[in-house]
Amino acid sequence: MTTPANRILASVPAREYRRLSPHLFPVSLKFGQVLYEPGKSIRQVYFPLNSLVSLLTAVDRRRTLEVGMVGQEGMAGMPFILGMGVSGVRALVQGAGTALRMSATAFRVEFDRTPALQQALYRYTYALMAQISQTAACNRFHDAEARLARWLLMTADRVGSDEFPVTHEFLAHMLGLRRVGVTEAASALKRRNLIAYQRGKLQILDKRGLGRASCSCYQIVKTVFERSQRPRHQQPPA
Amino acid sequence: MNHRPAASALSPQSPSPRPGADSAQRAAQAGALQNHLLAALPAAEYERLLPDLEPVALALGEVLYEPGGRLQHAYFPTTAIISLHYVMENGASAEIAGVGNEGMLGVSLFMGGNTTPSRAVVQTAGDAYRLTARRLVEEFNGAGPLLRLLLRYSQALITQMAQTGACNRHHSVAQQLSRWLLLTLDRLPSNDLVMTQELIASMLGVRRESVTEAAGTLKQDGVISYRRGHISVLSRAGLHAHVCECYAVVKTEFDRLLRDAVHH
Repeated sequence: MTTPANRILASVPAREYRRLSPHLFPVSLKFGQVLYEPGKSIRQVYFPLNSLVSLLTAVDRRRTLEVGMVGQEGMAGMPFILGMGVSGVRALVQGAGTALRMSATAFRVEFDRTPALQQALYRYTYALMAQISQTAACNRFHDAEARLARWLLMTADRVGSDEFPVTHEFLAHMLGLRRVGVTEAASALKRRNLIAYQRGKLQILDKRGLGRASCSCYQIVKTVFERSQRPRHQQPPA
Repeated sequence: MNHRPAASALSPQSPSPRPGADSAQRAAQAGALQNHLLAALPAAEYERLLPDLEPVALALGEVLYEPGGRLQHAYFPTTAIISLHYVMENGASAEIAGVGNEGMLGVSLFMGGNTTPSRAVVQTAGDAYRLTARRLVEEFNGAGPLLRLLLRYSQALITQMAQTGACNRHHSVAQQLSRWLLLTLDRLPSNDLVMTQELIASMLGVRRESVTEAAGTLKQDGVISYRRGHISVLSRAGLHAHVCECYAVVKTEFDRLLRDAVHH
């Protein structure tokens, strides 16, 4: 059995994972697919492999803001970890790809009897909470260009690729900007040869440069996630 | 920092007072039950926890945690309100969530992060009960009703954070101010708040002038009145007319947490 690319599942010891795996079904998630709506029941949880799910809060029926991202480092369906069966946010597939899906019923049983999964998911929830808080701060205080750079870096980390499809309109929804604001920010990054954009595909040309254009929020969130993946009781490998 | 003289036995510095006298114990018991999470515990669970719940008085402006700081205690507010702020490198900050009698400060503790990403500062002076970090983790590992309650609370807190983020981005200062006032009122016994416009500005992460302008609008409409350091809400209905949907979203989530949980 190969180790799954999803970090949460990878942290579960082989013996327990063998018990989980019959409940995990590979599914392909399509761009724009909605997994959860706020206030609606959660029937499945998803462990992304190379797909990416955006957690969005919508206000006034049309304006949205991305408050968190779930990729191969996490699991979509966090309320279930916390014992709630209802989503607080909209979960939208932002990066098409595969994920392992588990029914909420099976998840409940396996979560209860797999301490390693509990620990990994509680730590993950903590990191996601830090991400939500930092993203709110970032949207409040940082300029469009820095936020766009942060978002692109976070996305690249989670899809495991420096090239992904994206539209300006989509970015506007994610970053809570008007389209013209996205166009300006993207042009500025393009002029500095940090990114290229053609036919709906965005390519990161200079990751280090993009890191400098981003605000510190990218690094802060990255550090929180890295730390959360090192359990307190486990020594880092020598 | 604006320390309020602590009410005799409720000094934050005093070691855990384990009331010996029955009357003192009953008083403490009644006090702690003002916290909705503690009140939702089965009686036996609550009794078991009670000797370890230490009453503390929290003063306006008191900082309980700095970002990255180690958590020593979890706090269950009864009449106090604690505000969680994110703090940027340049010192700019704004509120991401509030914790009053509906909640608990210190959810990171049982999620395996022993530090907090935000600053916790007392927004309304009052009382709280605290539990040592160690005791909370013990309770959590015991997988009892407190664990289930706190997990559900965390979900409501996360929704509050997400909604606050979106509200800050998309809504007017008057809407944000109305949301903030309603959420604060829900946690208070009266319609009067000890609050300055500077403090509100730092909660909402906006300039003071913007708060003055928004508060002026609400005052003109007869919704609030204010004098130095005090805000009185004259009409809750008036606030509802000004508020964005964000208030209801957060409120619903808090109501839900005590209602329909899935059972693990």
